Amino acid sequence: MSLKDLVEAYIDLDEEKVLKIAENLLKSGGDPAEIIEACRSATNIIGEKFERGEYFLSELILAGEIFNSVMRIVLPQLKKEIKPIGIIVLGTVQGDIHDIGKNIFKAFAEAAGFKVIDLGVDVPPEKFVEAIRDYKPDTVGMSCLLTAGIESMKKTVDAIKEASLRDMVKIIIGGGRVDKTTCEYTGADAWTNDAATGVRIILKWAEEKRGR
Amino acid sequence: MAKMKEPIDLWIERHEREPDVVAKEKFDRFLKAAELKVPDRVPVAGLFGDFLCEYTGITWYDLSYNLEKIRPAVLKFVHNFPSDWGIIFAPMMLEGFILGLAFADFPDFSNTIRFLTGPVHDILKDKWSQWPGREIKEDFHPQFRGGEFMKPEEYKQFIENPIEFIHGTILPRACPGLGTPGSPQWNAAWIKIGMTMQKIASFQAQLIAEIGKMGNIGFPLTNAYAPADVIGDFLRYPTGAMLDMKRRPDEFKMACEVLVEPILKIATAIPPVPPLTVFFAPLHLNEMLSPKLYNEFYWPHLKKIIETLVAKGYKGFIFFEGDHSPHVDTILELPKGWGIAWFERPKNFMEVWEKLKGHTAVMGGVPTSLLIGGTPEKIDEYIKDLLSKIKPEGGFILSPGVNELPKTTSVANVRAYINAALKYGVY
Repeated sequence: MSLKDLVEAYIDLDEEKVLKIAENLLKSGGDPAEIIEACRSATNIIGEKFERGEYFLSELILAGEIFNSVMRIVLPQLKKEIKPIGIIVLGTVQGDIHDIGKNIFKAFAEAAGFKVIDLGVDVPPEKFVEAIRDYKPDTVGMSCLLTAGIESMKKTVDAIKEASLRDMVKIIIGGGRVDKTTCEYTGADAWTNDAATGVRIILKWAEEKRGR
Repeated sequence: MAKMKEPIDLWIERHEREPDVVAKEKFDRFLKAAELKVPDRVPVAGLFGDFLCEYTGITWYDLSYNLEKIRPAVLKFVHNFPSDWGIIFAPMMLEGFILGLAFADFPDFSNTIRFLTGPVHDILKDKWSQWPGREIKEDFHPQFRGGEFMKPEEYKQFIENPIEFIHGTILPRACPGLGTPGSPQWNAAWIKIGMTMQKIASFQAQLIAEIGKMGNIGFPLTNAYAPADVIGDFLRYPTGAMLDMKRRPDEFKMACEVLVEPILKIATAIPPVPPLTVFFAPLHLNEMLSPKLYNEFYWPHLKKIIETLVAKGYKGFIFFEGDHSPHVDTILELPKGWGIAWFERPKNFMEVWEKLKGHTAVMGGVPTSLLIGGTPEKIDEYIKDLLSKIKPEGGFILSPGVNELPKTTSVANVRAYINAALKYGVY
């Protein structure tokens, strides 16, 4: 049972097999950081499959679940903390309490190596502003399901502008009812209907930032 | 100089002058579209949501609880933004199909109790929904939240007797307002719910009659649901349901199977009256599933429900939430003319239309974001182009993907939507 087997089982979304391999690898002295890295590359491939239309939300949810299960056994064994590739402040915007999309995005962003500050649901604009001041994130992620949430997204972007923090962060919005028009209307930098594409966008931003 | 009248203004005047004639036209128009025929004009569907509250100066709290304020607001809105057919929840309603299931054997009210209202929520204190002026602010949209109220290992008990399990286990867990089954609190709560429903029903009957006098129509409507959505919405949360499909496939399928009969009981509680009685079913898990999971765990039981009801003389009215494109072909398995499919945001609407035209009446076509963020000119141009591609084929109803618009939607945009339907929809 090698890391390669783990990646394969992960991509096949065979939860039991992934956990068994991870446990065996740890028992035989495998490096926890390498296991995490293998999970990352598998998640990345799952994201690509999603974008190609081979995988759907149901698969992303399962992948997120598998990632969390592996982390539960691997993280306690980790000798030193892995440096995140970026920080993201994330929340479902004011007036909306739906969190499925936000949670999948969170799992995928964490799997990609980001540190995620999850503000939860029904997050007012001032909380986003406060979190930007406190955590100095690279990215702000806003999620909503209701059409009313679109207005809250706009208000939040405006509040970030007013606090003179807009230049410090990139903003991505996500949800079933957002699109290009919504993105322009709210003043965000990018939009996505799905977590996999969303994480790809923030990964690109992280690369650009490193390249600067 | 007086502003030039637009098509919508002339239509409003006709509603005032000859409501009966206008209503008759709407009736024929919608019926023909539902029957895949060519009406005089493409029917245009009505709107709702925060926009109604903002325009009429009421809050979501009012729309949920304050019957006195609802009446004038809805009448004003319906007058100023006419449509051929629309759904306005007055008072506001949220998903509550599990309550219909709990009382599936009682056809005199199973179909009424299937929607949650604010006043009923106040009695149940259910954890499925949150209401303005209660858990959330007065100007916030009431929200269905769902939740996990059945443990994965409880499928077996559910399958043995779903209705009993709902009463004995799910309702006490999800609705603290009911207390313990059989207790005085429990019994009193149901009596209070009955009284509340009665009050709301008589309010609605009066309101519908008034709206009808203003040149509007309605068709008898009953309710159905996809069995897998009962599990996702009320018992296991959508994520839980999807994991169960993978981890407990046989139990999940059996649970769907045992839900078919009670769902049919609820739907048939309202008999089919010619020429048109529709059964409404909003789909939720559909877009989240891969075709493999959809075809195995979702569609077979839903298909059985649709086919059974169509054979009994109903037509379906199904809201396909999200992007249903990956599963559109399965709709062709249904008998031609089975009903109306309302699509929220298929990746390519015209592709869906091309596949289904002549087989399924299709509703939708206007991206909700266009009405929110577009301009009247853009909306006009978009709908002109869309209808030039749809016509001369019949069986189409113009509508945004969802009929709920946020409060900042401009009046000019909404008028542009209705104007464009009136201008370019004529066959």
